[in-house]
Amino acid sequence: MNSLALDLHPPARRRRTLTWFPFAALSPSLLVLSVFFALPMGMMIGMSFTQTETFSPTLDHYQRFFTDGLSIAGFCRTALMSLLVAISVTVLGYPVAYFLARSTTRWRAVVFALALAPELAGVVLRTYGWLIILEDRGFINDLLLHLGLISSPLPLSKNLFAVVVGLTHVVLPFGILSLMTSIQGIDPNLERAAQMLGASRLAVIRTIVLPLSVPGIVSSMLIAFTMAASAYATPALLGGAGFKVLATMIYEQVLFYIDWPFASVMAMSLLLMMLAISFVGVRYESRRRSRASVSSGGER
Amino acid sequence: MNRLISIFYWFSLGAVLCFITLPLIVVVAASLSPTSAVTLQPWEWTGRWYADLWSSRWLDPFLASVKIATVVAAISGVLGLFAAYAVVYERIPGSDALMSCLLSPLSVPQIVKGVAVVLFLSMIGLQGFLGTPALIAAHVVLALPFVTRMVATSLANFDANLDRAAQVLGASKLQRIRLVVLPMIKPGVLSGVTFAFIISFNNIPLSVFLVRPGDSTLPITVINYLEYSLDPVLAAVNVASMAFILAVIFLFEKIGGFSAQLHGGSK
Repeated sequence: MNSLALDLHPPARRRRTLTWFPFAALSPSLLVLSVFFALPMGMMIGMSFTQTETFSPTLDHYQRFFTDGLSIAGFCRTALMSLLVAISVTVLGYPVAYFLARSTTRWRAVVFALALAPELAGVVLRTYGWLIILEDRGFINDLLLHLGLISSPLPLSKNLFAVVVGLTHVVLPFGILSLMTSIQGIDPNLERAAQMLGASRLAVIRTIVLPLSVPGIVSSMLIAFTMAASAYATPALLGGAGFKVLATMIYEQVLFYIDWPFASVMAMSLLLMMLAISFVGVRYESRRRSRASVSSGGER
Repeated sequence: MNRLISIFYWFSLGAVLCFITLPLIVVVAASLSPTSAVTLQPWEWTGRWYADLWSSRWLDPFLASVKIATVVAAISGVLGLFAAYAVVYERIPGSDALMSCLLSPLSVPQIVKGVAVVLFLSMIGLQGFLGTPALIAAHVVLALPFVTRMVATSLANFDANLDRAAQVLGASKLQRIRLVVLPMIKPGVLSGVTFAFIISFNNIPLSVFLVRPGDSTLPITVINYLEYSLDPVLAAVNVASMAFILAVIFLFEKIGGFSAQLHGGSK
């Protein structure tokens, strides 16, 4: 592409040295990825199908996953948690994303920094913050007890609620970014036109902004779901011993029970959940693309 | 009605921004308070938790994390630069398929990658590799696709006519790469390297499988401690490490200026 036909007299030697160099440049990356990614992944997949003692192929580990009750419960809990996070990230992120997409004042930069700064703080700091806030003797319970609204602490931590709050906070910046990109793509004149023709604010949002930002809503939910389902630290710390998701169960299988084949099966189930979700996203995106190109006679 | 909607809109915007900042404020407050609980009782400020940081208990994991993140940023920066150069700039045969290969680790959750690496090392009898070497290898696998993608984006986006102009004017390939291409993609490379440093420094889901007692990273040391107590020294550790990350970003911004690139690095 870059070497147009301009190179009229290419010296033969330079040509030859350049044909092998790109391959040499690429090979270290491919080597690292095959040794520390492809090979381990293959081994893990193989292990999930292998009898521990005899090394013969088996589906026993998968059978155990489906029948022991705990694993399937963990799988469903992970899916439920991720779905709740996806919904709350999208709902909470929408007003911020709309503001960032439409505002032209100097407050935009402030809100942008506020919305994205937590991302730099790392997961531990934020989870620690939520632990302090949601604990039995924490910020919220202390405030409510002080005001006399409750007589005993509300169970805010070590449960699904705490994990969903913590993960929503972790994932929110990513949701805001994808919603913002989508809303920025909507022509603001559409909103102005509707407003001039007498539509109320609510009608403009309901009939123009929301329907046109559906792709952003979908992608924000997909990102939030996948990030939540694979999170480890937040469920481990905010969920406590009673709230087990796949990520924390995998960790226990590897380091406490030392049951590698079963850990592999759990990892596979998490991986398949992710791949299914991304497949839905890819399908949706390609459908939308083809519909858009049909209706506008091939855009771009 | 319209008034009601806009009141609701501004209220929800404010509420979400409070939600975002609340935990950060609470942690900073906790790091300065004498007790672990952030309560409404009047409390005085103290800097003693920050003074406590200056002990090998926190300095060792911090230095280990810095060392690992630096090596990871350097390795994935160089590898990513070369890989993106081969695939995007030289367009070697099968470049699309190769790019998908290079980016494929992105579609696997970190925790799964972590399990795979620890099982692999244990299976082939290389448990001794756990600790720093395994952490570096796993973090490179994590960071490399991001770096490759950022460099590839800036290689694809810069004005190829500049490169052609240099070619017409008789620059050799090496000269063009050194004098035209590299300066043009420098912000992309630097933001990739910064990003690699940060994701390695803050990483938990991979590291949690690969650390060894006495050879641990800062976030893992913190979460292991956090499971037992809410000691305010942890708040100080967190605030200090966030300040460190901000300093790193500031430094790289000074060197390369990649504010414009932040969008490419946001996923």
